Amino acid sequence: MIEIRGLSKSFAGRRRGRSGVQALEDVNLTIEDNEFLTVLGPSGCGKTTLLRCIAGLVSWDEGEILIDGKQIRGPGPERAMVFQSIALMPWATILRNVTFGLELRGVSRSQAEPRARELIELVGLKGFETAMPFELSGGMQQRVGLARALAVEPQVLLMDEPFGALDEQTRRLLQEELLQIWEHRRTTVVFITHSMEEAVLLGDRVVLMSARPGKIEEIVPVPMPRPRSEHIDTVEGSADMHRITQQLWGRLREWQVDVGKARGVAAAS
Amino acid sequence: MSGNAMVSPRVSQRHPRPPWVGLSWATGAGPTTIALLVGIGFWEAVGQLAGFRFFPPFSAVVARLFEMIGNGEILPPLMGSLQNLAIGFSISVVVGIVVGLLMGAYKRVEVALDVYVYALLTAPSLVFAPIMFSIFGLGPEPIIGVIIIYTVFIIIINTASAVQTVPRTLIEMGRSYCANDRQIFWRIILPSALPMIMAGLRLAGARAVEGMVNGELFIAAVGLGAVISRAGARFDATTVLAVLVLTLFIAFIVVRVIMFIDRRATSWLPETQRGLR
Repeated sequence: MIEIRGLSKSFAGRRRGRSGVQALEDVNLTIEDNEFLTVLGPSGCGKTTLLRCIAGLVSWDEGEILIDGKQIRGPGPERAMVFQSIALMPWATILRNVTFGLELRGVSRSQAEPRARELIELVGLKGFETAMPFELSGGMQQRVGLARALAVEPQVLLMDEPFGALDEQTRRLLQEELLQIWEHRRTTVVFITHSMEEAVLLGDRVVLMSARPGKIEEIVPVPMPRPRSEHIDTVEGSADMHRITQQLWGRLREWQVDVGKARGVAAAS
Repeated sequence: MSGNAMVSPRVSQRHPRPPWVGLSWATGAGPTTIALLVGIGFWEAVGQLAGFRFFPPFSAVVARLFEMIGNGEILPPLMGSLQNLAIGFSISVVVGIVVGLLMGAYKRVEVALDVYVYALLTAPSLVFAPIMFSIFGLGPEPIIGVIIIYTVFIIIINTASAVQTVPRTLIEMGRSYCANDRQIFWRIILPSALPMIMAGLRLAGARAVEGMVNGELFIAAVGLGAVISRAGARFDATTVLAVLVLTLFIAFIVVRVIMFIDRRATSWLPETQRGLR
C-alpha cells in the first residue's frame, strides 16, 4: 500500500524576483495493493512530478510518502519505472537493456538472462534479443522499457505517460497488452496519462488533477469489470466507459473554460 | 549473402546497403585514392615544369625517402620520434580523459579548471617548447612535453563535453533502478560519452604528430625534426620534403589506428549517426 500524505512541492523561480511554481499542493492519496491507478490532468498539473516523487527521483518540500508503512527516501527495489522517453541504452542490445536492473542488483548474468528472455517473449519481442534499440520502432522500444521494469519484479510499477509518444494504433495495442500482462502478474500500477480514454480503459480509479497549483480535484472510480483485456472493444464501447469519460471531460472542460475566462479578463483589463 | 533466405524477425543485415554502394568510388577508399593521385600528379607536374630550385618533383622526393630508408639514415631518428610520440600521446590520453571526466562530472572542478584549459588550448602550443627545453634540457623529455601540451587540452575539452551531454533521462533511468554513483559512471556515463571522447582522441592524434615535429624542429637535437632542420640548413629541399611526406604518412596511420579503435568501441552507433555518406 502506498500512502501519500500532505505532499507539497514547489520549483523555485529560475530568475530572481520570479515566483516559483507550486507543482504539488497538499496531495493526499492512498493506493491499494495490486490497484491500477491512473492519474489524469492537463499538462503542467504536476502529475509527472507526483510520479517522480513516488519513484524517489526528486525530493519534496512537505508531507510524506509511505510504502507498506515505510517512509521512502530515494529509489527502491520494490519500485520500477517506465519512462515516457523510454530511456533505453543505445549501446546495449535488447537483452542487455532488459537485464540492466537485475545486473545492478548483483544478479549474475546466467541468472538474469533467462528471466530477461522470458520477459522479452512476454512483451512480444522474441527473436529481437540481440537487436539494438535503434533497430526497433517506438512501440517496440517501449515494450523493452516495460520488460526492463518487469524484470526486477517490482511491487509497484510506475508508468510516466509510457504510450504518450506513440501513434494511435500502437498505443491501443500496447494498452491491451499491458492489461493482459497486469491481469496475469498483478502489481500495483501508477499510470500517468493525459488521455481520458486511456485513463478510464486501464484504471480501477482515475485521479483527476488540476494545474497551478497541482492538486487532486477528484478521484473517480471505474467500476467496469475485469479482466478487460479479453473484450476490450466491448469495454471501449460500453455505457460505463462513455459515462465516466463524459464525467471527466465535464470537469476538465470546466477548468479549461475557467482558464480561458481568466485570460480574457486579463486581456480586457 | 548466403543462407539468408529465411525470414528472420531481426533485420537480416544490420546495415542494409543500397546496391550502388558496392561501387568502390562511392565508399571512401576510392575518393581518397583519387584525391591523392590528383594531388601527387599536380605536385609532380609543377615540380617538373616550373623547375624551382626548392620545389623538387614528387618522384625525386620519394626517391630520396627510399634512399634514406635504404641507407639507414632515417630509421634511428624515426624510431626516436615515434617513441616520443607514443609516450607523449599515451600520457595525454590518460591525463586528458581523467581530467575531462572529472570536469564533466563535477561542476566545481570544471569551474576551477576551465579557464586554464581554454587558455592553454588557445595559446600557440609551440611557445612552450623553450620552457620545456629550459626545464628538461636536451633529450626526449622536452619533446614529450610539447606533444602533451599539443594534445591534452583538446582531449580534456572533448571528454568533459561528452560527459555533460549524456542524456539526463538515462542517468535518471539508472537512478530509478537504484544504481549508485559508481554504477552510473561505469554503466551509463562512460559508454554514452565514448563516441565523443573518441572524436577528441582522433583530433588529438593528428595534433600529436604536429607537436612532435614542431617540438623537434624547435629543439632540433633529436628525431625527424633534427633531420629536417639539418637539411634545411643545407638548402636540401628534397630531404626536407621527404621527411615531410613521411610525417604526413605517420599522422595518417595514427589517425587511422584511432579511427579503427573508435569503430570497434562504438560499433553500436547506427551508421546514420556517423555523418552523411
